[in-house]
Amino acid sequence: MAFDLTNEEKAESPYGDEEKIKSNILTVNMGPQHPATHGVLRVEIKTDSEIVTEAIPHIGYLHRCFEKHAENIDYRGIIPFVDRMDYIGAMNMEHGWCLAVEKLLGTEVPRRAEYIRVLVAELQRVASHLMFFGTYSIDLGAFTPFLYAFQEREFILRIFEEISGARLLYNYIWIGGVWNDVTDDQLNRISSFCDNMEDEIDKYHNLVGLNKIFVERTARVGVMDKEMCYDYGLTGPILRSAGVKWDLRKDRPYSIYPEFDFDVPVGTGEQGTVGDCWDRYWVRMREMKESLKIIRQVLEGIEAGPVMGKVSKIIKPPKSEIYVRTECPRGELGYYLIADGGKIPYRVKVKSSCFTHVSALPAVAPGQMIADLVATIGSIDIVLGEVDR
Amino acid sequence: MHEDLVQIINQAVPEAKAVLNKAEVGDSSISINAETIYKVCETLKKNDKYEFNVLQVISGTDYLPEGEEGYLELAYILASFTKNHEVIIKTKLPRGTDSNLPKIDSLCGLWRAANWQERETYDMIGVEFVGHPDLRRILTSSNWEGHPLRKDYKVQEIFNGMVVNPPGKMNLGDQQFGVKSNADSLSNKKPMGL
Repeated sequence: MAFDLTNEEKAESPYGDEEKIKSNILTVNMGPQHPATHGVLRVEIKTDSEIVTEAIPHIGYLHRCFEKHAENIDYRGIIPFVDRMDYIGAMNMEHGWCLAVEKLLGTEVPRRAEYIRVLVAELQRVASHLMFFGTYSIDLGAFTPFLYAFQEREFILRIFEEISGARLLYNYIWIGGVWNDVTDDQLNRISSFCDNMEDEIDKYHNLVGLNKIFVERTARVGVMDKEMCYDYGLTGPILRSAGVKWDLRKDRPYSIYPEFDFDVPVGTGEQGTVGDCWDRYWVRMREMKESLKIIRQVLEGIEAGPVMGKVSKIIKPPKSEIYVRTECPRGELGYYLIADGGKIPYRVKVKSSCFTHVSALPAVAPGQMIADLVATIGSIDIVLGEVDR
Repeated sequence: MHEDLVQIINQAVPEAKAVLNKAEVGDSSISINAETIYKVCETLKKNDKYEFNVLQVISGTDYLPEGEEGYLELAYILASFTKNHEVIIKTKLPRGTDSNLPKIDSLCGLWRAANWQERETYDMIGVEFVGHPDLRRILTSSNWEGHPLRKDYKVQEIFNGMVVNPPGKMNLGDQQFGVKSNADSLSNKKPMGL
């Protein structure tokens, strides 16, 4: 965008009209190997000096065509594959898939297994939000909070390793229940972790969330309002930070969530406007507390019993289709499953929350500084494994 | 709810010829005429009673029974976050050919969410959305050939000068999609778990 100077400006310019001041649009590729894009996301940004005029996300670097894989393996074999979509929230991914297949089969899941599922799903939510908190601080230039967050996250991963055998990709929730029982000792340790974690969250918030620099970098930045959320189909913490009290665990309850008492935190624009980056951060921090509340209730209510229901050795759902939505740490996850009566699914479509969230990036980016774009990308908390599938 | 919706659609857009597919297991859906998709979605979005304000999914499925021509089925899943419900709208399209993909109206004018969903469907299933502002491939590379989620899809042999499946590749049989024996071989394997 070269422009000519007006006569008045020429008179004031020390270079006269010989040297015209030029301002050009510069195209910069942010990523695919960029620490602030949380994986292999490439954002093609057109910048006018420091201001972003246009941002075009390019995705697909991690594309494995999960949906095609799913058409070639049996229902149980798909569980490890769904793990690999959102590898930060693998338990929640498995939970959704198993719910979908169980609904078609009409399987009854034992009470203890339901409790354990909710327990691991909520622990995973805490771990995922801790990951967000840590990496988001790094995006904004603070390194120490990352170490704090990973210390606590490590506890959750160790517990998961004990009960499932893996630290990141569990294959723990199976169709009909969970494959391994938890011991009382593990439950006790989770209980003491909850007490500890509650104080930690307050500490993080005082340390980072109320920090002047953090507030300045995030408040009134990357505002996503309610209308935009509906237009783009944004869900999860982003929708809640825009002031909409919407949580599938409450509004379309699945598993045994209706039995638990917890709140749905929403953004109020405490530090800036409703739906800005700071609100998204604060919603996630409060969600962790609510998750801890649920975990406590699980620990109180958990009953002895089997952890695996009766499922036939070969899973053959009748010819039917189903769309199941669950609330994952990053937003709504939907499985649209079409069964043709055989051993393998006919079609599996994943409604990935991260995919929709990235698609909204071109709408918030224009007019932002480049550094604010980093803050915005960090605050929508994407996992590229789920975006690309 | 579904019967009511069918009535609403047929009243507002008679040429849609909405039919309810009632399911005993799983979710029911509503089938409509492909040409009327925009009008039907507009009706559902603006309906005061149901207010389908969010487009959740656009998904395509390829049906290719042996010896028949087959067809594509697009499923539009709409949800209402204010009235709390969802519906699956289905429509059928011919399969078309690589140079002449089936066409359907784009919903980008109704929801901006449609933009990427339609790009993905175009990429994976091969449906052209008429009126889409930026219909490019999204998940695969721009010079990729074919649409992977079609049932008769074969991976191209050479991509950008690289051999996709070299002869010495491990577990080649497991990785070649569309090979019919692959699905059959599952029956010989023992089921996982338990």
